[in-house]
Amino acid sequence: MTVWKPEREAAIDLLRDLSLSFGPTGCEGEVARKIMERIQPLCDSLCYDRMGNVLALCRFGEGENDRRKVMISAHMDEVGIMITEICDDGLCRFDTVGGIHRSVLEGRTVTVGDEIHRLQGVIASKAIHHKTKKERNQLTPWDQLYLDIGVSNREEAETLVSVGDLGTFDSDFYLFGKDDSMVKGKALDDRMGCAAMILVMAELRKHPLSKNLDLYFCFTVREELGLSGAKVAAAKIRPDLAIVLETTAVGDLAEVTPGKQVANVGQGGVLSVMDRSTVYDQAFLHFALQTAKEDGIPCQLKRYVSGGNDAGSIHKTGEGVRCLALSAPTRYLHSPSCVTSVEDYLSIAALVRAMLSRMSGDTP
Amino acid sequence: MNEELKRDIFELSGIMSVSGFESLATEKIRERYQTYFDEIQVDAVGNHLLRRSCGRTDAPSILVDAHFDEIGMMVTKICEGGFLRFTSVGGLSQSVLQGADVVIYGTRTLRGIITSTPPHLRGDSEDILPEAEELLIDVGYPEEELEKIAPVGTPIGFAPRYRELAGGALAGKSFDNKACGAIAAYAIAHTPRENLAGDVTLLLSAFEETSRIGGVAPGAFSANPDYAMVIDVNLARVPHTPKSETVPLRGGVSLAWSAATHRELTAMTKALCQEKEIPHVMVAAPSSTGTNSPTLNLVGSGIPVVDVGLPLRNMHTYYEVIAPEDADALCRLVQAFIESPALAERFGGRKEELPT
Repeated sequence: MTVWKPEREAAIDLLRDLSLSFGPTGCEGEVARKIMERIQPLCDSLCYDRMGNVLALCRFGEGENDRRKVMISAHMDEVGIMITEICDDGLCRFDTVGGIHRSVLEGRTVTVGDEIHRLQGVIASKAIHHKTKKERNQLTPWDQLYLDIGVSNREEAETLVSVGDLGTFDSDFYLFGKDDSMVKGKALDDRMGCAAMILVMAELRKHPLSKNLDLYFCFTVREELGLSGAKVAAAKIRPDLAIVLETTAVGDLAEVTPGKQVANVGQGGVLSVMDRSTVYDQAFLHFALQTAKEDGIPCQLKRYVSGGNDAGSIHKTGEGVRCLALSAPTRYLHSPSCVTSVEDYLSIAALVRAMLSRMSGDTP
Repeated sequence: MNEELKRDIFELSGIMSVSGFESLATEKIRERYQTYFDEIQVDAVGNHLLRRSCGRTDAPSILVDAHFDEIGMMVTKICEGGFLRFTSVGGLSQSVLQGADVVIYGTRTLRGIITSTPPHLRGDSEDILPEAEELLIDVGYPEEELEKIAPVGTPIGFAPRYRELAGGALAGKSFDNKACGAIAAYAIAHTPRENLAGDVTLLLSAFEETSRIGGVAPGAFSANPDYAMVIDVNLARVPHTPKSETVPLRGGVSLAWSAATHRELTAMTKALCQEKEIPHVMVAAPSSTGTNSPTLNLVGSGIPVVDVGLPLRNMHTYYEVIAPEDADALCRLVQAFIESPALAERFGGRKEELPT
């Protein structure tokens, strides 16, 4: 049997559509709607819960006993900004929602507004010409960064934006590198996980599993703010197992010592042993590694204890849940220019599919 | 601002013209402007001279200068794993580099992303910005191919991308100073020939960003004008900037009083603004304008020059912002300047000033 792998062009189109959608933490509605449109025909039932999570059930097997519940989860939200003040000169002050480092904010266009009304602006500070030599070599202090929406006074600005409006990076999605092997875009964290889940759902609809499995595909909100959406989703589902599809920051740049690279773009999905939110289930991890080996699907281990994801809240739900995290190795995470490899994205979907078809009884 | 001018601003600003590589733009400049100008010439240092004649003999020669180069980068080393080291060309703002989209103009055009330092490698130096030379460009090609495609010395520019903001404001790269070049070209091209007060040369000058003694001097020398206007962007007022060194966005063009320019020509240009009701603000730049004006002023036997500015926010980033009202004011001023009989009368035909 040949190992399934998603069709490249369709997978890229899906990722592009999700990456370009507006979904800052707390305002995930547009992403949720797009996902629901796509997965409606791919699942047995669908729920848009009161927190904004999209929960889809795909039921396999006829047996009523020995059914296992597997939660597969990716978050829909992305890091963003919120307008905190509109100034007399029409420029706006803002703060971040989720962890954005100041070094990737300045000079960027952003989309601000809500789910209905949006416009574009530029984040900037005083020009280099007005900076002292010391200032030029330092990150611009928060109180000197502003959002420029193009107007010149408060009255005009107030007709267009409000305090509390959210914003995301306005950033092109494109392929680059040799044979277009790399992908660049905003919010790949975690639209890539969402996209991989949709690819798996579509494949399972075509080739259903024969095992007695209830698969809960969960597209969660507010991961970037305390892993919140997954917490309530897991409490409702009470799964036996959970697979979190994510992105993980890597530092595989030229001249960085191997020990600090975390993982490498282009070498497959990253399986976590431990991060700052979770110590992962060893048996589940070995099951994943074994599956990948048997099917010849590239994957790698995360070589640094850093970051965290929804597994952090899922594994502590109820009596505890055995968790696995599978992430795309991604450079420049939480910036307008997340970079990863197309092949890694496809192989993550393939590995999830391969694991699901092997789950039975007490495995893992 | 009409659609044609807006398109011109985007197109001209989108051409790669990193200082020192201006002559790579010749074909595109010809393509856009050859129907409007009588002659388009590129000189030894990369200046483009676009000439439009008034059709009369013994007419004065008028120069309008707008530098055409832009800040950018250059490849300095090819690194393992598909990365390039680079250095800045012109006064690049360190604070906007990390995560930026760039284009590498090698034997093939490649897209790339400037790296940003991952959190676990940032160390304790939270507030220190890495210099350009400490960052990399992620291009996703093996080293041996990069040696051929993008050897050391290859120019790199910010990826051209343009946005329209509220109130018709435009945002994009290299409005400094190609927005001014596009506006001046539009004004000159759309002035009926019979209205021209003299033969007009538009000088799209080279390497202002790297060396102000560079392009404009030979350009002005060969144009040999009777009087001239230098147009460059001017810093628009934003928080934490001195009021005396900035101009308001949407306040119209700025005219500089300066010991390094021609006071009478400045006064007459101001009068022209008043007569035509062109929004303008006067600024003081005592000993230097920070533009091509002081250099141009002393070319050959001296050229009367007026220094004109277009307000621009976020200078030297790739989303510089200009307002349509200011662009229109500049367009009208250029037209008034090249049509003015008073300026032609006062400054034309005064080349022979030696006592005999």
